[in-house]
Amino acid sequence: MRRAKGSLESEVLAALWAADGPLTAGDVADTLEGDLAYTTVQTILTRLHGKGAVRRELTGRAHAYTPVLDDAGLAADRMRAMLEKGADHAAVLTRFLRTLTPEDEATLAGLLDQQRTSGES
Amino acid sequence: MSLSVYLPLAFTAAFGLAAPALARTLPPAVSTWLLSGGGLLAAAGSSASLALLAFPLIARTPVLAARGRWSDAVLRHHDPVALPVGVLAAVAVVLLAARFLRAATRRLTAVRDAYHLANSLPHTGSELTVLDTGELHAFAVPGRPGRIVVTTGMLRSLDPAERRALLAHERAHLNHRHHIHQSVAHLAAAVNPLLHRVPAAAELSCERWADEDAAGICRRDTVADALTRAAIGTRIAGSAAVLAAAVTDVADRVGALRRPAPRLILWRVALLIGLLAATAAAVADAMHDTERLFELAQSAYRTRHP
Repeated sequence: MRRAKGSLESEVLAALWAADGPLTAGDVADTLEGDLAYTTVQTILTRLHGKGAVRRELTGRAHAYTPVLDDAGLAADRMRAMLEKGADHAAVLTRFLRTLTPEDEATLAGLLDQQRTSGES
Repeated sequence: MSLSVYLPLAFTAAFGLAAPALARTLPPAVSTWLLSGGGLLAAAGSSASLALLAFPLIARTPVLAARGRWSDAVLRHHDPVALPVGVLAAVAVVLLAARFLRAATRRLTAVRDAYHLANSLPHTGSELTVLDTGELHAFAVPGRPGRIVVTTGMLRSLDPAERRALLAHERAHLNHRHHIHQSVAHLAAAVNPLLHRVPAAAELSCERWADEDAAGICRRDTVADALTRAAIGTRIAGSAAVLAAAVTDVADRVGALRRPAPRLILWRVALLIGLLAATAAAVADAMHDTERLFELAQSAYRTRHP
């Protein structure tokens, strides 16, 4: 599977953020479904570390990486402020999901049931 | 002029009615361009119609008649538009122009603020900014470069393949400049209320486009799963109350992803492009008729004021 350099970096960073604790390059490569070579992950992690986006510590023989919380708190506040400015501001930020209407909730409840049933079968 | 000046309004109404069906049946990249481009053309065409209906009436006022050197008597006798229709069109032009200016100002401010926001986000040279909060949000913030913002809550509720789908989805919004398509559709509806269904259709179309892009990288089912899981997570987290109500079409999107990618239905596209071409032709015809009316009025003026 061919992916752009920037998107790999995002995926590695996302994997670190989603994890409960520090991850080694091997952990990350395992998480990303094994379609990324260990060396590729290692290169990306080194680059992220160079940028200051991740912190690393030596655990045994390998480095374990943790994402760095830069002024993300500030970013979150800016994001909320932007959304609260009104419908036009919210519309410009194309969101993965919008607010759910009651009809959506009903449909989703249905989808959830379907998923459960197919999971059991 | 009797008919052709009204045709763009009729075509615009038809386009407005067809918009939701377009978004649901055509490949989303095609429907997005048709909705924004067609919306723009329909808005321009219908505005031209209203202006052409109103202008001969306005031109009859003594000040304008003297300045334009045309005979107001000729205009009065030969203007095929009934007085109430002309008055109504004039009022509509003023009101809709005000509506458009208001909507355009707001939207431009919003886009400018988004660019500022994208610039102000911590710049590590990577496209992704993560917000450490349990709330489930994922955004594409347009800018140069655009940024993807995702909360840790969202990242943790998805598995690795679903995270890739989410990132691909947001990246598609940025790559294809979906905020421009959506803004154009929004402004077209501000110019003409007959197009009021176009913005929601364009929004769904953009989301579908981003979903299909993500499906090109992951499996279709993975994108559908990511969407379902994020939606369910949002429901459970109860963050629905945080933001003002806006229509989502999650169920439509998941449904479309469970089916094969939509195929291009050529006759529908051809029909729509035909409709838009007819709108442009009708406007041109009506303009030509108006021009002839004013030529007549001007020659009458010249014989009376040699």
